Amino acid sequence: MNRSDIPERVHPRLPGGFHLPPFGIHQFLALMIVCVSLWALGALWLGMQAAGQWVGGWQQDLRIHVYLPAKRAGAAEDLRQALEQVPNVASVRKITAGEAARWMESWLGDVGLSHRELVGRLPLTFELALAEDEEGFLFSDIRDAAERFGGMINDEEVSLARVNHWLSGLGMLAWFASLVLALAMSLIISNTLRMTLLARADEIHLMRLMGAKEWFVRMPFILEGALIGGAAGLLGWLLLWPLVWGAGDWLALLQVDLNAWLLFLPLVAGGGMVGMVGALIATASVASADSPV
Amino acid sequence: MTAGAGAATVCTMANEQTLIRMQQVMLRYPTGKTALSGITLDIPRGQFVYLVGESGAGKSSLLRMFYGGVRPSSGKLSVQDTDMREAGESRIRELRRHTGIIFQDHRLLFSRTVFENVALPLRVQGWKTERLIPRVRKVLEYVGLEDRLWSYPEALSGGEQQRVAIARAMTAKPAVILADEPTGNLDIETARRVQDYLMDLNRQGTTVIMATHDLQLLESHPGRVIQLHAGVLVGGDA
Repeated sequence: MNRSDIPERVHPRLPGGFHLPPFGIHQFLALMIVCVSLWALGALWLGMQAAGQWVGGWQQDLRIHVYLPAKRAGAAEDLRQALEQVPNVASVRKITAGEAARWMESWLGDVGLSHRELVGRLPLTFELALAEDEEGFLFSDIRDAAERFGGMINDEEVSLARVNHWLSGLGMLAWFASLVLALAMSLIISNTLRMTLLARADEIHLMRLMGAKEWFVRMPFILEGALIGGAAGLLGWLLLWPLVWGAGDWLALLQVDLNAWLLFLPLVAGGGMVGMVGALIATASVASADSPV
Repeated sequence: MTAGAGAATVCTMANEQTLIRMQQVMLRYPTGKTALSGITLDIPRGQFVYLVGESGAGKSSLLRMFYGGVRPSSGKLSVQDTDMREAGESRIRELRRHTGIIFQDHRLLFSRTVFENVALPLRVQGWKTERLIPRVRKVLEYVGLEDRLWSYPEALSGGEQQRVAIARAMTAKPAVILADEPTGNLDIETARRVQDYLMDLNRQGTTVIMATHDLQLLESHPGRVIQLHAGVLVGGDA
């Protein structure tokens, strides 16, 4: 449009097609509500990321160690067989004294203990790899087998394995919560757009009377839904940073380094998607009198 | 040319000249009310047609059928060579793009400027925005409102609002303008001015079909009169 034809401070806003409807208080409120929901979702997934790193930081692969005092070395073969027979133990590997001593030496660092000195002090060690579908009594069975031969299980590893197991369950819950919140956000946006649609019912009716195609009538509202969702996602993502910075020092102690950038695309694109779905729900049944049927 | 060929040519020409053809059209609403019954008539292109009759006679229903707002329950209705009982949604949309509609309450969008209101039919047809202003300015000049391009409808008088509605109806150069009591809310003098515009559009070749109660207009601005009573044709067209 030639601006010289248009007076100062006049901004023509033609309806339909790719032109957005005006932004009002209802849209702003919807944006805020969706932003808070997306922020909560982002915080939840940041928490999952932190928990995953904390567990994974101690033990990347899920392995349990069973120790047998050196004075009971004669029972080592029997213990190995007993451990192999525990259901859901995938494999049992005996760690040689030298390997254990080298690992201990590197872990302790520069404390003046030598490899040879350590070999004599360390117990016999078995490393157990677990099957993925662990059962509830797995760790008790391993403990029972170890204690039968005077050995012991590494309880800290068991605790971490249990935390890991709970985290898997929590991950499912987080996905479920994400889906429920996504649906709720879609409905909030849908409700907001429904109000806009009602306010613009005359305009929609007129456009249809003039032969407008359905995409032309609905597109502004779909764009608006996507924009509200996307903007809420962006705002929610920005508001995650104070959380990351605030908890950064404390998390560093736990060897956790949060990466909020990983949530940028899911929150912005997911927000846009949620908004678009809400808009599609809102515009699915926009009936006007005199619609061609 | 043989006699048969001559007759066929005459028939084809007659079809080309007929804008609306109705044969035994009946309209029954889902509520069970029969709005129109046994309507048979032709409306040639370029005519100025008045639909008259008491309230509830079926004038508005007839107009709605002409733009596909309702479909005939039985009979045959052809508008601009479109079978209105069989036409799909896209065909109806296409038909509406060649139809201007004026309402008694003008149905202007009060949150939008005169320009935005008048540009709406062209916007719907995908006109590029840079082409809109000259065209809208031209039609507003025609109805004497060129200086109101950027005003909002609430700043206009009733007569001016109805002239904006006329401008909106004519802006896409439709083949037919359907006017549902466009002068119903106006005083006599303003009604005559609005009627003058419609007559002038008709002289330029646009078919105008206008429902009205105002029998005085029929004398001052003569045209073909189709009279309805309780959903059936009465008078000369019956």
